[in-house]
Amino acid sequence: MVWDCAQIEEWLSDWLEGRLSPEDAEAFSAHVSTCPECQELVASVRGLVTSMSQLEMVPEPPDLARKILDATIGPRVKVGFWERWTGWTAAQLRPRLAMGAVTMAAVVVIVFQVSGVKAARFRHVDLNPVSFFHNTNRQAHLVYSRSVRFVNDLRVVYEIESRLQPAPEAEPIEPPSLPEQQPQTPGASPQQKSENDKHRDRSQSRTAALVAMLSPADIWAGGSTRSSR
Amino acid sequence: MDPDAQLVQECLRGVAPAWEELVKRHTRRVFNLCYRFTGNPAEAEDLSQEVFLRVYRTLPSYRPGEGAFPTWLSSVTRNLLVDHYRRTKRDRITDSIEDAMPHLEERHSSARTPDKLALASELSAQLQTALSRLSPELREAVILRDLQQLEYEEIRAVLQVPEGTVKSRINRGRIELARVLKEMGVRPH
Repeated sequence: MVWDCAQIEEWLSDWLEGRLSPEDAEAFSAHVSTCPECQELVASVRGLVTSMSQLEMVPEPPDLARKILDATIGPRVKVGFWERWTGWTAAQLRPRLAMGAVTMAAVVVIVFQVSGVKAARFRHVDLNPVSFFHNTNRQAHLVYSRSVRFVNDLRVVYEIESRLQPAPEAEPIEPPSLPEQQPQTPGASPQQKSENDKHRDRSQSRTAALVAMLSPADIWAGGSTRSSR
Repeated sequence: MDPDAQLVQECLRGVAPAWEELVKRHTRRVFNLCYRFTGNPAEAEDLSQEVFLRVYRTLPSYRPGEGAFPTWLSSVTRNLLVDHYRRTKRDRITDSIEDAMPHLEERHSSARTPDKLALASELSAQLQTALSRLSPELREAVILRDLQQLEYEEIRAVLQVPEGTVKSRINRGRIELARVLKEMGVRPH
């Protein structure tokens, strides 16, 4: 079958894209090889198709996507770094949150203080539950023994004081109850003096005994023995 | 599942970032289709926005089973372009006489640029001029096939015409375009 120029035009794209049957492709080539006009047409269309397939897409205007988004889902507020930062700090400064944070920090400080964890010499082992409990237990016992010692010391001091200076305000109260037995005179009688000496000697010896009892070893042994006494 | 279908589903569930992603993925494609058809970047920009507005409103009507999202998008774009073409037909007839003048200048400038990149962009501009002289039916067929690289079956779905008509329009469009370029003194290779 011999093809004419009109057929070449009609089947040009099919030939270019390889969709002609072998017989038709042969007839196509046979005509083109003998017809200079069809040769030029085939060459120009082939060149055009190749050029178009190699053409890059034209870049769209840079703000086109943003315009489309604004028109569809509305303008989105862009949050800058500083707005985000100041917004964050403002949120932290709200009274409720700030109070909570301060309380939390105080709790952490107290717990660490109680457990004996030193911020300057912090070690990971300090957070180990076993050593944490051990430290806390030790710290609690130290505090307890210190407070017991303090109370005992205070008691001893008051005891000594009361022995050394027998309550001065007690004397004005006593006389009215026994006015005739103990007549008060400006000069102390010898009988009264000897009574006072005896009292002083007794209190001194007692102070010595108390001081002896206040040795550190005694305190470390615990307040229970002394308090029971 | 292809990423476009997934994005469309998320859009329909109201996920805003999915719509943003979908727009960013296809803006260039839609813009190029509009630009090649109208030959005017500003017009193409406005039309692209209109396309996405329409897509946003009609997204629930897209059925993934009936074809890929890009094909559906091309179809929406093409329908809008045809509407636009009909709307502006009267304005164009008066402009076409004035448009003929710059083409003569292009013929002279084409011989002066040896740079390959400049050649490519010059060919792009010349092609644009030549495309604008084609009838809209042939123009859209050539753009979809040779510039947007769609398959025949996809073009048939976009244009809603039989495949024989698609083939014939592409073929006639190419031959016509080659003739116009030859008249302009351009020889693509």
